[in-house]
Amino acid sequence: MVDRGIGLGRPGWRANLDIVLTVVISRLKIVSRYKGMLVTEAFLPIIFAAFPLMLGFSIGGPNAGANFLRNTGATGVADVDAFYKLYMLLGACTFTVVTLMMWLIGYWIRREQETGTLESLYLAPAKRFYVLAGVSTYAFLRSLMIFVIALSIGSVLFGVNPLAGNLGVAMLFYVAGFLPLWGIGFIFGAFIMKIKEANSVIQLVQWVIAFLMGIYYPITFFPGWMQYVAASFPPTIMNDGVRSAVLGIGNLFGGEWWVPFAVLLTFSLIIPLLGYEIFLETERRLRRTEGVGQY
Amino acid sequence: MSKKTIVEFSRYPVAFVALFAQIFLIILMFLFAAIAFAPPPDPSGQGANLGRQIAGVMIYGFVLNIFLSFTLWEIGFSIREEQARGTLESLYLTPASKFASLLSRIFAILIFTSVFCIFGVLMVSFLVGGLAFQNVGLAMVVLMFSISGFLGIGFIFAGISIRLKESAQFLVSGFQFFFMIFSAQFFPFSSLRAVHPAIVDYVSRWLPVSYSVDAFRSLLIGMPEGYPELAPLGVEIAVVVAFGIASPIVGYLVYKWVERRARKDGNLGEF
Repeated sequence: MVDRGIGLGRPGWRANLDIVLTVVISRLKIVSRYKGMLVTEAFLPIIFAAFPLMLGFSIGGPNAGANFLRNTGATGVADVDAFYKLYMLLGACTFTVVTLMMWLIGYWIRREQETGTLESLYLAPAKRFYVLAGVSTYAFLRSLMIFVIALSIGSVLFGVNPLAGNLGVAMLFYVAGFLPLWGIGFIFGAFIMKIKEANSVIQLVQWVIAFLMGIYYPITFFPGWMQYVAASFPPTIMNDGVRSAVLGIGNLFGGEWWVPFAVLLTFSLIIPLLGYEIFLETERRLRRTEGVGQY
Repeated sequence: MSKKTIVEFSRYPVAFVALFAQIFLIILMFLFAAIAFAPPPDPSGQGANLGRQIAGVMIYGFVLNIFLSFTLWEIGFSIREEQARGTLESLYLTPASKFASLLSRIFAILIFTSVFCIFGVLMVSFLVGGLAFQNVGLAMVVLMFSISGFLGIGFIFAGISIRLKESAQFLVSGFQFFFMIFSAQFFPFSSLRAVHPAIVDYVSRWLPVSYSVDAFRSLLIGMPEGYPELAPLGVEIAVVVAFGIASPIVGYLVYKWVERRARKDGNLGEF
């Protein structure tokens, strides 16, 4: 499992792959012991979508769908009632994916700190990059599973059909959106290592994300400058891309679907590298001062 | 223990600011969602009045939601935190009262939550051009008994956390959302009835929290036509008072029972 040669053995690619797989399998094993948690998690997006729908009923009554269509400026919609329900459901599902990534990657560091295993992990002859790759892969698998289950159950409960739109393109946006989330997760992890109090920071950031990515409304509701801020945020583009593909409505950038997709891909190249670099730099600084295990 | 909680809070100033900002973001998000469903402007001004009424229903419901959520998390989930940190068993070896230990976890957060709520209500009032704020005295009585009732639910969750360990976190979230929907904390009960009348008749009406929410917001918005929605005000207040007295007693008994079993099985500190 190590490169051949004289001197200090370095792990080969199979050993590195083994680290990733070991982390993924161990995380999956741990989470499989908490079935109640997985079930609750699958229903969260449906509940998130139900709030604005109820609010919509109380404000708009039977005209809720027509009001929503007029206020959001969507055109070419055949089934008005199905449109706003699916709009909310997709927003809530995408938000759950984003927030799960934050929790699973960001909180992983905090959890290792709390259980006292973070420093031991640093002493293991495994590169941190592969450990983090394992955690991120696990986060992706888990959030993908939640997205599919929640969208399926939610569609049945709300009586909508997500398959009517271009689900393939929506999944492309989802996969491409995962990479910037990975990078954001690293930045987040670095921040948590530094300031320690993970729960509140993750909770705050998850609501900032929910607000900026417009899970219940289009970002055109924001004042001008804020629209630019929101549109330069990868989860917003991901959410908008998934929605425009499934609902057949225009996207943020006004062109074909590949325009926002190209923007998202650009973010996918920059943010993971930037995130990893920030993570390593924070880690280096902490190891020089108080150490990574203190919390 | 209360002092310890406050000292802990002071050690994490980011957490405090985050909590504060989070509440405002949630309120803003729901306001934007409400704008998405708003009817076109009407010259008679009736639409604006309805808008203010719905905003009142939403924000006053949100006040109760936030008290309930923090009670569930602070009492229920803090036990889980003690388990994870390995301090729960040590805490049980001290000669301190277990009841006081449970109760003390809530004081700091109740004070902070009250401050957040005042600012939240002021913000919404500013954004919608003035909220109704009537029958304050009676509404505060309802709020006090409601918080006392929430403490009982918190005690039950503390017991559940000991048994369920990691899954308790999601169970707390699940119940938080259950009450948000079935106790109609962000919208009137008429919206639930529009989905299916059975939801109100067979679920909401059986939850004391629903009466707390309904009585509290109906009083504050000045009892307009159709409010309170579940029962006459006198009946609702009686339910809330009974809930506020019985719930902490029942909740603590449940907690004691679960705790005894966990101590017998030797898994109190397991996580």
